[in-house]
Amino acid sequence: MGYTIAEKILGRTSRAGVPVPAGTEVEVKPDYVLGYDFPGYLDLIFKQMKEEFGIERVAEPERFALFIDHMVPANTPEEEELHIVTRTWCAENGVKLHEREGIGHQVAAEAGYAVPGGFVVHFDGHIAQLGAFGTLAIGIHTQLLEAFVRERIDFTVPETTRVNLTGTLSPGVMARDVFHHLVRVLGPRSCRFQVLELGGTALGAISLEGRQTITGLAMFTGALTAICNPDRLALDYAKAHVTQPFEPQASDADATYAAVHQVDLTDLAPIVVVPPNPAATADLADHAGLDVQAGYLGSCASGRLEDLRVAAAVLRGRRVAPGFQLHVVPTSQAIMAQAAREGLLETLIEAGAFVTSSSCDYCYGRIATMTAGQRAVSTGTLNVTGRMGSPDSEIYLCNAAAVAASALEGRIADPRPYLAGDGP
Amino acid sequence: MSLAPLRGRVAFVFEEADFDVDQIVGVENIRLTDPDALAACAMRRFDPGFADKVAPGDVVVGAENFGYGHPHFAPMIGLRRLGVRAVIADSFATGYWREEIAEGFPQIACPGITGLVRRWDEIEIDWDAAEVRNLSRGGALPTAPYSTAERGMLQAGGLIPYLREKLAADGGG
Repeated sequence: MGYTIAEKILGRTSRAGVPVPAGTEVEVKPDYVLGYDFPGYLDLIFKQMKEEFGIERVAEPERFALFIDHMVPANTPEEEELHIVTRTWCAENGVKLHEREGIGHQVAAEAGYAVPGGFVVHFDGHIAQLGAFGTLAIGIHTQLLEAFVRERIDFTVPETTRVNLTGTLSPGVMARDVFHHLVRVLGPRSCRFQVLELGGTALGAISLEGRQTITGLAMFTGALTAICNPDRLALDYAKAHVTQPFEPQASDADATYAAVHQVDLTDLAPIVVVPPNPAATADLADHAGLDVQAGYLGSCASGRLEDLRVAAAVLRGRRVAPGFQLHVVPTSQAIMAQAAREGLLETLIEAGAFVTSSSCDYCYGRIATMTAGQRAVSTGTLNVTGRMGSPDSEIYLCNAAAVAASALEGRIADPRPYLAGDGP
Repeated sequence: MSLAPLRGRVAFVFEEADFDVDQIVGVENIRLTDPDALAACAMRRFDPGFADKVAPGDVVVGAENFGYGHPHFAPMIGLRRLGVRAVIADSFATGYWREEIAEGFPQIACPGITGLVRRWDEIEIDWDAAEVRNLSRGGALPTAPYSTAERGMLQAGGLIPYLREKLAADGGG
């Protein structure tokens, strides 16, 4: 009997150390335990460790890495005090802290925690994006506390839904559109409590960055996480970033799936996700022309080099519409530095974009906050009510090229004419 | 140890699939943490008189994928303060389910529940038989099983007391 990659990875980290079928309850030892500081998250775990369990130090600090990526830079004394709590705890515990390096889910890949065949836990489900590298990375919410106070955590091996992507993406249609199209085709309940496994001929043609985008948003299909069987591209990235030896895993040809879907990408057109529901996928064409006042290009889902490159291609030699607020926030500082080397930042700035160092804070309205009646196009993770400010503002999610095109026109716009060189 | 018997009225039925629970208190209130403040704003947009009608021991019912979106803790803190003892739904969104089970708040997956009950029906959860019964109109439906850890968290009253038991069993105290 064959196993899925998820069954193999959870099996490897279980007490028995062998693949386990879906439905089995196991106690698994994560290879890495990750988290970021935010009020009520790490600070609460530190407090609970000490006060509820009398545990001062984590047992194996080398399995932990924490991030300061929210509230960066701090804008109240309380926020800076929270960061100090995190810095102090990491120093006392000998735990690696990544501060101001970028959004943690991206930095996790850069820092070598995206180990093919590895098992990673975080409280935040967007960590699923390490699945692009064949890592099983799961947002386990408050259960993360268990990983701080015990060597192993309880886990039920999930079933897997397999999606084979076929066809070819057209220019101006991006990984972002692929993900939202999957939600449209499969539905927001399709993968509840499951692993979403991506494969097929079209996946190989999608960049690692694009795979990070798709896997990182898996939660909106209901999935616990998403994963790709690592190919040469993923393994080469891992070899360049992972410091220890690793054993990649891959699904067997006769693995058992809860469902298998074929999704053809050939005729896919740019998409918008209509507020306030992350499953409200629509063709951008059906909403083109709607007035927008702000644009956000960034987040753990998007904001990587291919996003910045396509935005620069749309904006090169042009200016954003008068009064339009375009915020460009590269996903990590390493990405920002590379964008600088490529001249992308110069192009974006000269077009009128407001470009800043990496931070999570634009995605949830802590900065660049919208007021009532405003509407944004965004590559952020979410379009729920009030996510980027007032409950009476609106967010249309779309790809990076569409954010750039919409910034030029001050209304939702199809990026493809600009990329074809015959922009209006 | 077993779960305490649960018998009460269906205080509300959320009929919308993929229901975003933040609507229960309103997005403008999701940063609140005080249970009384959350109880004061809970359900106002659905039934302004809800707080006067609901009684300790009542449950609320949801449709498919209850808790989809980006759920916060605030809505259920408010509902619990009003006396709501459990949520029963046709099915639950993954993240919401994990969070509320870890809070020790009974979430009961019962496919077909929205067809079995109407608002203010009296219902009973039989944990041992894994069944929801409609005491007002008759009829019953099976509930989905819990994992050992989920049942353990519900029995212990949440993640922290459950982990205390686990650590004691590990021998680490």
